[in-house]
Amino acid sequence: MKNRLVAFAFVLLVTGLGTGAALAHHGWAWTTGGNIELIGIITSVKLGNPHGVLKVDAEGDVWTVEVGQPWRNEDAGLEPGDLAEGVEIRVIGQPSVNIEDRLMKAERLYIGGVEYNLYPNRD
Amino acid sequence: MDGVFAALEGLPFVEAIRFSRWGYAAVNAAHILGLALVVGSTVPLNLRLLGIAWKSVDRADVVRVLSATAASGLALAVCAGLILFATRATEYGGSDVLWVKLALVACGTTSAVIAHVRYGWTLTYAPRGACTVHAVISLTCWVGALICGRLIAFTLP
Repeated sequence: MKNRLVAFAFVLLVTGLGTGAALAHHGWAWTTGGNIELIGIITSVKLGNPHGVLKVDAEGDVWTVEVGQPWRNEDAGLEPGDLAEGVEIRVIGQPSVNIEDRLMKAERLYIGGVEYNLYPNRD
Repeated sequence: MDGVFAALEGLPFVEAIRFSRWGYAAVNAAHILGLALVVGSTVPLNLRLLGIAWKSVDRADVVRVLSATAASGLALAVCAGLILFATRATEYGGSDVLWVKLALVACGTTSAVIAHVRYGWTLTYAPRGACTVHAVISLTCWVGALICGRLIAFTLP
């Protein structure tokens, strides 16, 4: 009885954590694994920890684009003010498995022809 | 409420944490240390209260050590958690899973306070039935709060 109870509790816990992994927005588990390209105009910017979030209007289709946390953006060469409303941006990154989310995580950004690589070790 | 959240985000100290690499990491680590102490102490405490494990150890001794650990962990987790919340108050305030977590934390804390007020700091006077009720509430609330807390990072853009 005792062992069964403990085992049951453990299974509950692991199932809970497993569900979390499937929904993951941290890491890359929630993305498709393949890159897409998004070109549009930045309509809102919210930078800072745990990571920055842009809204990008691609011909009427508004996407949420996750960029890096401050240190990652800085390492990629982004200066304060580079990511600003009204700026045209090209984003290479992975979309959410659920395409209806209109959500993607950026690997590389291009502003005015300049590349900013947030994840130099990914392709 | 949105005004309060925006004001929180705008506090100079919060702004500094939002853009700090190691400051944010430190607050994050403090929060995890806090909840590790809470869950790490309440699980064995409740298993003892339920009579599932460590029956040979005196109940009052187990309660004395683990309640104090849980209370300190909770204090740390709440302080660090408030700062983490403030860095993104608007988004976190709109997260259902965060409110579920806060309800679980409130419920777990209330249950613990009631138990200690009623039955003494080491729960010396607690009847078996009361121990079971409080232990089940505690296990559900703290493990549930941990899972909900983790899910916040996985459900917000």
